[in-house]
Amino acid sequence: MRTFLTILFTLASLSLAQAHAFLDHAEPKVGSTVQVSPAVIKIWFTMQLNPDGSMIQVLDSKGVKVSRSQVKIDPIDGKLMTVSVPKLGAGSYRVVWTAVCHCCGDTTRGDFTFTVAGP
Amino acid sequence: MNYFQFRKIAMAALLAALALNSLTTKLQAHGLEGDRFFPPTPLTDDPFAVDELSLPEIQYNPASASRETDISGSLSKEIFPKFALSISDTYVNLNPKGGPAQDGWSPLSFNAKYQLWEIPEHEFILSIGSDFTLGGTGSKALPSYQYYTTYTPNLYLGKGFNELPDSLKFFRPLAITTVTGYDLYANAASSNALEWSGSLQYSIPYLQEHVEDVGIPRPFRDIIPLVEFQMTTPTNKNAVPTTGSIDPGILWEGKYCQISGEVSIPINNRSGPAVGGLIQVQLFIDDLFPKIFGHPIFGSDDNNETTSGK
Repeated sequence: MRTFLTILFTLASLSLAQAHAFLDHAEPKVGSTVQVSPAVIKIWFTMQLNPDGSMIQVLDSKGVKVSRSQVKIDPIDGKLMTVSVPKLGAGSYRVVWTAVCHCCGDTTRGDFTFTVAGP
Repeated sequence: MNYFQFRKIAMAALLAALALNSLTTKLQAHGLEGDRFFPPTPLTDDPFAVDELSLPEIQYNPASASRETDISGSLSKEIFPKFALSISDTYVNLNPKGGPAQDGWSPLSFNAKYQLWEIPEHEFILSIGSDFTLGGTGSKALPSYQYYTTYTPNLYLGKGFNELPDSLKFFRPLAITTVTGYDLYANAASSNALEWSGSLQYSIPYLQEHVEDVGIPRPFRDIIPLVEFQMTTPTNKNAVPTTGSIDPGILWEGKYCQISGEVSIPINNRSGPAVGGLIQVQLFIDDLFPKIFGHPIFGSDDNNETTSGK
């Protein structure tokens, strides 16, 4: 056990960095149903993001991309990534995201769905 | 070579490997398959050949004749892409009723593991490996002293329930892991045995991030309730019945570490007379020390980026 502790504290003295960026919450909420099409998809992550490589895509139920190309990292809240979407019709949509951690360049990926109930 | 010489050589080799590893910079993830994060669980070795540090794991077993407390540590390091070696050991404290306490190290154990087959979109992984418990490396003061070596070829499985239909979407956070192994003793007098263990997990992080945000606040949204089992079935003629335990508990995922606690319920009298328990701390060393861990020592693994689910 003493040897393991020695290894641990040796490593601790060498480097200490931040963790990967994971989804914290989103608007629309993960798995939710909204009555009106959102204008922007917002995802808050657990870490500050690097704009290089970070992205959000919104796909319709046929897998066709409906989101606009430009993804933004909020200049004030570096954990917030957004992408605008046109007016969405009723149906289910899949949000696919890639997050590159600002601190160490680690990449995380994930996806979730939301539904627009429509008129 | 005696026990202490062997231990020093093994640790020196491990430190040398870590130093060599720090020269490379490629990222690699901890146990993820598709959207699923398979956490390392206390009793069921997860199917991933990745960098992991379990320190400490404390297990308490109130047997009738002697209370036993075990303190374990385990370090796993990816050597080549999808292939890892690990080393582990346990310090055992026995307190017999009416007798003096007995302390000492259990035999030194090694494990080799290879991720054989992965289907990320199905959250499926199958791995093979083997445990090696070196005879003669434990403390002779313990009644369980083992002078012979044990080899245990293992089959590891992990599967998420992501394919369930929308009507069953709240079961999608479920996942199972299993390990099936066969003890082969380098000693004809000992009974060979089938070792089988598994876990059934319900990942609240997976629920929140991939199924539906039901508004569970932290720290509760980082919890994974689970039930594990760990069984041993001797296979020789006139062998004793299966022994083992059912172990419900919870596991909390932090940014840098994971803490789990389980209650150990013996399945029969041969498995133990009373309920025990364990606590394990698992450090995410690839996040804590990314220059050293999170990538293989030799070769690179371009496809092993992290997918959310933790």
